[in-house]
Amino acid sequence: MATEALGDERPALFLRKATGLVRGWNVRDSLIYAVLSTNFVTLGLFTFTYAGPSFPTGQLLTSVVISAILVSFLVVAYTGLITTIPRAGGDYVWQTRILGSGVGFVFAVTGWWFILWLWAPIYGNILAIQFFEPLWATLGSPSGAAWFGTDNGIFVVSLITIVLAGVLVSIGMAGYARIQKWCIYGGLIGFAVIVVLLLINSHADFIASFNQEASKLFGVNHAYAATNAAAVKAGYTAPSLGFGPLGATLLLVPNMMFFILWPNWGASLYGEIRGASDFKRVFRGMFFGLWITTALVVIFFLLMAKTFGWAFYQNANAAFFNGTFPIPVWPYPFMFAGWLVHNAAFQVILILVMSLWFFGWVGTLFLSSTRVIFAAAFDRVLPDRAAEVSEKRKVPLYSLILMLLPAVGLSAIYAYSTTFRTYTLDATLVIAVTYLFSAIAVVLLPFIKKDLWRASPASKVKLLGVPIVPVSGVITILLLGFCLIAWLVNDNYFVNNPSSLIFMGAMYVLAIVLYVVARVVRRRQGIDLGLINKEIPVE
Amino acid sequence: MRVFFATDIHGSEICWRKFLNAASFYKADAVILGGDVTGKVMVPITEHNGYWQVVLAGETVRLDTREELADAERQIRNRGSYPAVMSPDELTELSKEEGAVDRRFSVEMIASLDRWLDMADGKLKGGEIPCLLNGGNDDIWEIDDVIDASPYVTFGEGKLIDLGGFHLVSMGWTNPTPWDTFREAPEEELAAKIEAVANLVPDMGRAIFNFHAPPYGSGLDDAPALDANLRPMHGGAVMKPVGSTAVSDAIVRHQPMLSVHGHIHESRGIKKMGRTLAINPGSVYGDGVLQGALLELDPKKGKVSKYLLVNG
Repeated sequence: MATEALGDERPALFLRKATGLVRGWNVRDSLIYAVLSTNFVTLGLFTFTYAGPSFPTGQLLTSVVISAILVSFLVVAYTGLITTIPRAGGDYVWQTRILGSGVGFVFAVTGWWFILWLWAPIYGNILAIQFFEPLWATLGSPSGAAWFGTDNGIFVVSLITIVLAGVLVSIGMAGYARIQKWCIYGGLIGFAVIVVLLLINSHADFIASFNQEASKLFGVNHAYAATNAAAVKAGYTAPSLGFGPLGATLLLVPNMMFFILWPNWGASLYGEIRGASDFKRVFRGMFFGLWITTALVVIFFLLMAKTFGWAFYQNANAAFFNGTFPIPVWPYPFMFAGWLVHNAAFQVILILVMSLWFFGWVGTLFLSSTRVIFAAAFDRVLPDRAAEVSEKRKVPLYSLILMLLPAVGLSAIYAYSTTFRTYTLDATLVIAVTYLFSAIAVVLLPFIKKDLWRASPASKVKLLGVPIVPVSGVITILLLGFCLIAWLVNDNYFVNNPSSLIFMGAMYVLAIVLYVVARVVRRRQGIDLGLINKEIPVE
Repeated sequence: MRVFFATDIHGSEICWRKFLNAASFYKADAVILGGDVTGKVMVPITEHNGYWQVVLAGETVRLDTREELADAERQIRNRGSYPAVMSPDELTELSKEEGAVDRRFSVEMIASLDRWLDMADGKLKGGEIPCLLNGGNDDIWEIDDVIDASPYVTFGEGKLIDLGGFHLVSMGWTNPTPWDTFREAPEEELAAKIEAVANLVPDMGRAIFNFHAPPYGSGLDDAPALDANLRPMHGGAVMKPVGSTAVSDAIVRHQPMLSVHGHIHESRGIKKMGRTLAINPGSVYGDGVLQGALLELDPKKGKVSKYLLVNG
């Protein structure tokens, strides 16, 4: 038999050649996944539109940096979970093992399945405002562009998004993973072009270009001044770019979670890990992914402040937020950057290239849902059919139905109810609750699974003799606890009104009902679901 | 009749102990371990003057007492590795001498299996509860005789075994893997081996196939796609089917009542293939959790009346 020795001077262990002994994955791959998940273009720009006007004196840039620092602790906590229990299934596996079957089921299906029904129209909305609207406008059809912002437009684009994500689930990740890689490379090239444009053009150049293109494409004259005036008319005063005040800036942190809370989105994809060095590898992928995103945001903000004018960007968002933006489409800063070059072909290409940030990201919408549905079906909580894959087409038909049909329904509500559309942060809140319970699990891990923890590389990572993983879990609990309290008590996040709370509560009720009904039905069939995670005694 | 099936415990002593206790815990009438019994890792513990030294999870640990040594050995065994106590000189020699590590590995594997089989006595009511063990592609050949010689367990490979009126046949070989392990064969050869055991079965309606390799493309055989350097592609996000077409064809052709598999740890699942219920309970032996399948077999109807995947 062939063997391999691992160790520096003297071998610390010997491995014999056996199935499954794979080398650690490339950090670059998980880094790409983390950058796409904390997508500053699709999710980031979307949230900046609403966050700034919601907390007018808060500083976007500072809040992004504070958020990234705090989410870094979440990265450490999740690295601890991944390296201690390196199983595909992520939060579901960790929570069921550490906190129990019922808890694991309820928070996995709400955070990784039910709430993604709401993410579908949010993705659709982003596709509408970052792709279809600017494209149609640049191609000379402002009315066509504006249609994508209407109720019907949002619904149609949501359906396109659902079909796109469903097809990508059906064809599998193999081809798409390659596409993702090219999308991020293309997207970064597009961003580099924008950086150059913002660097070489002055503020005066931008004002002239903005006025010229807004007039040409939308027939709006003196659009720059009109935008600023519209914000003022709406009662908004843009803060200058700075660092404080801290209070209002901290209130922006729960908004920032909408895009920055997801460096661990690929956590459920990791498989067997074999060595202590893998703690660093897992950590680096997520951590550098998070901080690359943060760096891109900082670069973008600073350059935009220089060329657009920081107040203008804030005013454009505030005017759109208040429905007074003189241009009839979403204030897409990359479209405005493209206007610095008075060439329609260039502008179209730039929009297409920047849309790669969307197309490299959309495929992950339902990927985790399929896994959770399959896991729940294998655990007999859902009917066996939920995990069936069509022999002919190799499509997980029933799980697709369980994902797509509710997503279509919610897309309709989202598109035709402007009130419901304001519940966007519900989509973050429900997943944050799932993360919260994983953070609780990581804190309890050393006490509940002592042997597992002791043998884990995560237990050896210490600062001043204190293991940093559980400590990071505590900080993550504080971060998510702060966000949850802020979301629930402050009206400016639009999630604490009764119908929003009923909507989210219904998801938890549905999950609990599903679990209880499954327990009862299976018991009648003579199957005790309580046995699934009951540990066999060792002695 | 209730059967507990687990697989791929890869030397994890905690999983073995749980396996032995599974019959009483789940009130099973028979227990089956589907292959890949032996571990993949050997951890040297160097013996010095009055203390021992070992690297555990990347950290060098000094063990000053026999209790600490025993505790470290327990930890190593529970993770599916073999502790090997040796002098620093022996360790140096082991690293240098051609084939020495292989020989030491075999010694530790056999010694460990011997110990395990001794434990089986009290747990299986002195052989009253049928317990079947089989080899998997990762198991060295020497374990076959050791298992075969045990009075408390039955070695399944290539045999027809009556299990309360059901017909169990076992085959631990798999289709080729990138690791070139012990019991691998091309699909054609695998098909011939399967036919040899399938032909022993008098009634497929009551047959149980215990084949280590899962059927190709069944969803029970999805493993991370690897590049030429055995590195997971695309951050481990891309899975591909790696099971056996020979196993798949045999299930479709013979339609046994039940088909149990292992080999692909991350592909825990259930698949209905015609009238056959195919199951891979997966394995997370490294966590000390024994994944398994609880199967209720109806002797009158000749079918699997209930099943549940458990993480014991």
